[in-house]
Amino acid sequence: MIRCLDEATLQSYFDGELSAQLMERASSHLAACVTCAAAARELAEETALLSSALEAEFEVSVPTQALRERIDAAVLGVRVANAERVENAGFFASLANVFSFNSQRALGYASLVVVLAFAAVMGVVKYRQSQVQPPTVSPEGNVASDQNRPQTPPQVTSNTNQEVASNDNQAAVPERRPVTAQPAKYSPRRATAREIPVKDEAVQLLPGERSYLQQIARLDSTINSNKKAMRPSLQVEYERNLAVVDRYIAATRNAAKSNPSDPDAADFMFAAYQSKVDLLNTIADARLSGGRSH
Amino acid sequence: MNGQARALIESMPNDIGTQAVAPLSFDEAFTLHHRAVFRTARAVVRDSALAEDVTQEVFLRLYRNLHATPGEDLLRAWLLRVTLNVARNTLRGQNRSMVRDNEYHKTTTENGSVAAEAPAEDYERRMAIEEARRALDKIKEPMRSCLLLKQQGLSYREIATSLSLKETNIGSLVARGRKEFARVYGKIGGRR
Repeated sequence: MIRCLDEATLQSYFDGELSAQLMERASSHLAACVTCAAAARELAEETALLSSALEAEFEVSVPTQALRERIDAAVLGVRVANAERVENAGFFASLANVFSFNSQRALGYASLVVVLAFAAVMGVVKYRQSQVQPPTVSPEGNVASDQNRPQTPPQVTSNTNQEVASNDNQAAVPERRPVTAQPAKYSPRRATAREIPVKDEAVQLLPGERSYLQQIARLDSTINSNKKAMRPSLQVEYERNLAVVDRYIAATRNAAKSNPSDPDAADFMFAAYQSKVDLLNTIADARLSGGRSH
Repeated sequence: MNGQARALIESMPNDIGTQAVAPLSFDEAFTLHHRAVFRTARAVVRDSALAEDVTQEVFLRLYRNLHATPGEDLLRAWLLRVTLNVARNTLRGQNRSMVRDNEYHKTTTENGSVAAEAPAEDYERRMAIEEARRALDKIKEPMRSCLLLKQQGLSYREIATSLSLKETNIGSLVARGRKEFARVYGKIGGRR
């Protein structure tokens, strides 16, 4: 007589999972043992309950047709994708080749990285220097206006002559004008982009340029504050001179920009700015004095 | 495809001898096993539409790994193992209720036509499924999956393969699961 069957063996017996020898032994034991026979009856009942309970779940029909169609379509998709992958393999292989690292390439990449890093560092240093450099020429701008004039090239000296002429004109006129000359007021909103063409491209100011631009903007706004009152001939003269000076500024500025290490180029540019400042000063002074005399 | 399932597929050939039986063709595999796959998926995700998604994914993986799948004797186990994984991942990814489950309002026959059912029968059937599911929910893993696979006629070896268990433990797990189910189900349904 063998000992009683444990629940696993009994379950395996009912599920037909025991070896032939064990099967036979369990069978003969069940026939003799009341306890195990009762356990076997309980097992059979519970198994039947389980089967009937899950019957509804497993009886729900399977949408074979729909599944077939879906899966066929999906498989077709995979096939197409595979075919495309094979076509693209050549391209990707060549692409991958570029990024493969043999020793020579690694050296090349390393040197490239070093060069780029150096360039970046130099760029940052230069940028900082340009930001820090103080405006050197600004203080003399207002006072010694004639000092820089000899430095301007001949083509503009003729213009400055015109300018002087216009100043003479202006000096002669003020009494005739019904000017309501107001004291110079700073109104930055009226200093529009048209009056200061350099301002547009002044994103990257050259060293020392900023003080000139500020000065010009201030004078410009002063003059504009009563532009309407200007005599038409004087206005035309003024604007023509201004255009000439502006063109001169643009030319010298380009030169200074393309030769940043050349001090002469920068001097020419400053001279150009200075002549504009002078021109504006003259106009403003003339009108102020005109206003006062009125 | 998620990483877990991919790892599973990659590990499969080591678990299951691939050389034992000549592999089935893809069409044969579908014809033989799509019901088991769909029903197992449905039992886990509790939604026919989702179960269709899972079934499609499982057979796509079979298609992609046809060369690495086991022979006929353990193909069903392989498929159901993938099914359980995909279905559980689907459940994790989707926080859907059973809103999409139209299966109870109509019964599609095998060839796709719809056969109307008496409302009373429909309701009864729905309640029966619901009760069984609630009882199954109370059973811990891996006993629940053992019962699920056992009810579909899988052998202990197949169950062990599907669930990565030892074959010698399956008898005990099925017995405990079955007892637990009878206790819980009897309570829910007022039976026994």
